[in-house]
Amino acid sequence: MKKTYELTPAQKMHYRWIRQYRTQQVAGLSIVASIKADIDFDILKKAILLEYQRYGCMRVRFTEPDEEGEVKQYLSDEKITDIPIKDLSDMTMEDADAVMQKWAYETFDGDNIPMCEVFLMKLPEGYNGFFIHMDHRLIDSCGVVVMTNDIMALYTHFKFGSELPEDLADYEEVLTRDLEKEQNPKRFAKDKKFWDEQLDKFGEPLYSDIQGPEVLERARKKHRKKSLRAADIEKKNLFVQVKDYPLEEVPTKEIIDFCMTHNLSITNLLLLGIRTYLSKQNGGQEDISIQNFISRRSTKDEWTSGGSRTVMFPCRTVISQETTFMEAAYIIQNTQNGIYLHAGYDPALIYEEIKKRYKTPKDTTYESCYLTYQPMPVKPDNPYLKEIPMHNKWFANGAATKKMYLTVTHTPDGGMNFSYHYQVADLGEKNMELLHYYLMRIIFRGMENSDMTIGKIIETV
Amino acid sequence: MSIEKEFRKLIAQYSGVSPEEVAASCRFREDLGFSSLDFMSLLGEVEDEFDIELAPEKLCDIHTVGEAMNLIASMV
Repeated sequence: MKKTYELTPAQKMHYRWIRQYRTQQVAGLSIVASIKADIDFDILKKAILLEYQRYGCMRVRFTEPDEEGEVKQYLSDEKITDIPIKDLSDMTMEDADAVMQKWAYETFDGDNIPMCEVFLMKLPEGYNGFFIHMDHRLIDSCGVVVMTNDIMALYTHFKFGSELPEDLADYEEVLTRDLEKEQNPKRFAKDKKFWDEQLDKFGEPLYSDIQGPEVLERARKKHRKKSLRAADIEKKNLFVQVKDYPLEEVPTKEIIDFCMTHNLSITNLLLLGIRTYLSKQNGGQEDISIQNFISRRSTKDEWTSGGSRTVMFPCRTVISQETTFMEAAYIIQNTQNGIYLHAGYDPALIYEEIKKRYKTPKDTTYESCYLTYQPMPVKPDNPYLKEIPMHNKWFANGAATKKMYLTVTHTPDGGMNFSYHYQVADLGEKNMELLHYYLMRIIFRGMENSDMTIGKIIETV
Repeated sequence: MSIEKEFRKLIAQYSGVSPEEVAASCRFREDLGFSSLDFMSLLGEVEDEFDIELAPEKLCDIHTVGEAMNLIASMV
């Protein structure tokens, strides 16, 4: 009899989306990792098969849903013996990416089945590597980076005799600790008190849209409720487009230096930029909520255990126009620090409480923007791969539960990348262009004049 | 295990530095590489481990291991 475990709050979040949107596609995660070099595919296969043993999350499966639709997880002991090879080397890289993008749209349907698929890849222009497609409940983006680096470290160990990488943390041990923490009644009471106090202090949140107040007005008309403070979410057309904007090394350094000097995290600076844009678009609205993803990886075991540790919490701040940029940054920082302390809480419970208090209509939301900031560089610290060109790419799963989801990453050239995933049902590239343009202007204007008020920044950008 | 030893052991899990190397003068951010998420997660564990509740306004004044240790000792 296999030992089964409850899902963690982070896993529940993805599972709720799967149930709400009725497709596993919303929880798909895919990446290709390749290098411009001849690869010994027998050795790479050996490395990946070993990774299945080292990185337990790759073997996670889910039970059949019970009467309430809930599932449990367990580690399968079924041995994976083969990794299929796919040859796309006779195409252009653009076409090969398009083929892999299609794979990223595929779903893992059914229970007690593998939720992870790996292919060895022969790609155009001499690139070779592997493609991984997984369910987000098994892994998050930090976990993917740890996994790809570990596979490459195993490959160089078997190929060139480099040192065998250290063991990764045991998935089940870390999962057990997480579930114990979550079920600690004193911890639960403290977390609940923190989140409830936000509502006691500020009352019901207020929606703010990238496109301005007309979206909320539309929802008010539809629900025939003038005082409605939440807007409808898109449930029919989940198709998402991606628009990337790079930021060069010099301005990136300015951001990093500003944050270092003022003891501010980059996440909080980005949250300030987005909230100021939303305030500008919504007639100076002061009560703004943005969903921010937190990757709960702090200890060494949490970093290397795999699993999905990314949880999304609303960062809600009420900031007046007279507040200076710097003061506003610290308000956000304090809010975020409180959230970090209480991040073991299941975010669904926050919304249950809101619904209970304010009777929020079904399928509505208070947030239009979602942010993930990934401080981790994607380039592996592997001396054997240092000078070799790479082609690594993340593929969108093609179905977004979020209206606009911004992922900010650092690039190997010292710059940053702003990747906007937006639902095409309501938004177009023009909206993203506008958002990015103003986001940059707000952040840089604020950094240059940190004593300037938010109102003045909105007026002058 | 003494509170100090237990606290050093917790810090070691977050920083990768051995418990013996965690000196009172070590600064969480600059010397031990803590992010704000790491720091707040550690404090959450401290609360659970020692069954205390840390007042948010006092947390801003904690920069070193020694300062955190003194605060915990005063509350246990």
